Amino acid sequence: MRALIWSELYKLVHQRMTYLALAAILIIEGVVIFSAYFQGNTILDILLDNLRDSFYFEGNLLNGHLLVYLILNSLWFHLPLILMIVSAGLLTTEYKDKTLQMVMLQPVNRTSFLLSKYVVAIIFSLGVVLVLMVSSMGVSYAVFGGGDLVVYLGSLNFFPHEEAFQRILWAYGCGTLTVIFFSVVSVTIAVLVRETTIAWIASAFFLIVANLLLKVDFGDGWFGKYSFVKLNDTWQQLFYQDINWTQIHTNNALILGYTLLFMVIGVIVFKRRDLL
Amino acid sequence: MRSWINLLGGMLLSQISYGQEIDPDLVMAKERLDAIASFEADLDLTVDISFVNMPPKSAKMSYQKGKSTTFSSEDFILIPKRGLDFSLSEIFKYSFITVDRGFEQYSGRTCKLLNIIPTDSKADFSIASLALDTLTHQVIFSEINTKKDGAYQMLMSYDDNQQAIPGRVEVSFEIERIRIPLQYMGKEVEVDKAQMKAEGLRRGRIILEIEAYDVQLVK
Repeated sequence: MRALIWSELYKLVHQRMTYLALAAILIIEGVVIFSAYFQGNTILDILLDNLRDSFYFEGNLLNGHLLVYLILNSLWFHLPLILMIVSAGLLTTEYKDKTLQMVMLQPVNRTSFLLSKYVVAIIFSLGVVLVLMVSSMGVSYAVFGGGDLVVYLGSLNFFPHEEAFQRILWAYGCGTLTVIFFSVVSVTIAVLVRETTIAWIASAFFLIVANLLLKVDFGDGWFGKYSFVKLNDTWQQLFYQDINWTQIHTNNALILGYTLLFMVIGVIVFKRRDLL
Repeated sequence: MRSWINLLGGMLLSQISYGQEIDPDLVMAKERLDAIASFEADLDLTVDISFVNMPPKSAKMSYQKGKSTTFSSEDFILIPKRGLDFSLSEIFKYSFITVDRGFEQYSGRTCKLLNIIPTDSKADFSIASLALDTLTHQVIFSEINTKKDGAYQMLMSYDDNQQAIPGRVEVSFEIERIRIPLQYMGKEVEVDKAQMKAEGLRRGRIILEIEAYDVQLVK
């Protein structure tokens, strides 16, 4: 299994698509930082509009924390999309290049083979989120400095510098689980459809539908609370004044459960299918 | 004949109005406040607005007679536009008359309640009420109805009877609740403020704890 993982990592590191994806993510991040900086004042104007009648403001809210928060808001669609393309490609290229049959002629367990694909997709997702986190926070704090973070979630929540930093780190942690889920789903989609272009389209479709359903209010029923489409913005819960840790832990456990479910589906289908 | 009587009556009333003296207790309180040339103090601010969650903040406050009060802080702070005019210079800036409304209890103290009505149209308030402790000549409560910024109240408490500047001020005001979409990137930034303000007015409060005074009196 370990050899398979190393082998998959080797393939990942040596394929051009990996670096194209990284470059795309960093370019998107740059664009988001740029737009967040220019939108920052407008956003603050809207947030603080009615307070302006009663208060003067002393201090700077257009700081690194606000920018990182805005980046967090906008990245959980673009990032999974690109990661899904790379993750699905881990398997579809094997079908396309007919290398899968060659591998299967070796004494390689099918389950271990597919699990190594899943593990590499997860490692890649973790690595990219880490790169993104370090670069976004590094640029934002270096250029715009620290300060209080203001967030609007039904009420205006102000967080002091240290607390804001901690909450942002937790938010990245929560968001990473979502990103991993989508990467795993894309590998499963690759198992199901095999063909590269169809796998990309199906993965993008899955992500778009999940994002659309996230915004639909399904009430307090099972689907509204525990379906995977409703767990994708769990990281936002970290910016409420009082953090509902039980809710966050439940959501994270559920998203891990869904991730495992999609992996199991992938393995079952992969084992039963004819490879040709 | 009737118009002559009206004219005579009007002249008489205007004479009473212009001739009305400013309440002597208010004059004494004003003299105490006027004696302050400058002061610096540490300030703890606690915001109490239903839709604002902000931890207590610290700031430094600096006042110089005839100038605006300035604040500095390492954090982001909300400074009330009204309620920090401890010298009551905004009230005393233009001519006014006072109306004695008797005595009332404020914070366990018996205070003289005065209505202050500006006689100069340049004044930015239409009417103010002040509750004065006539023994210490300290202002305990004020309610000021401004022409532009709505009404606000200040409840003041003092560390001792000698202090001219309060140790604690509670400023209450009206504030509009606002609703903003969860996602405020992109097009969703454009929000209908009129609709958002539909919820109407709510009361807000800011509590100021003032300590470590350094008061300089006029020489």
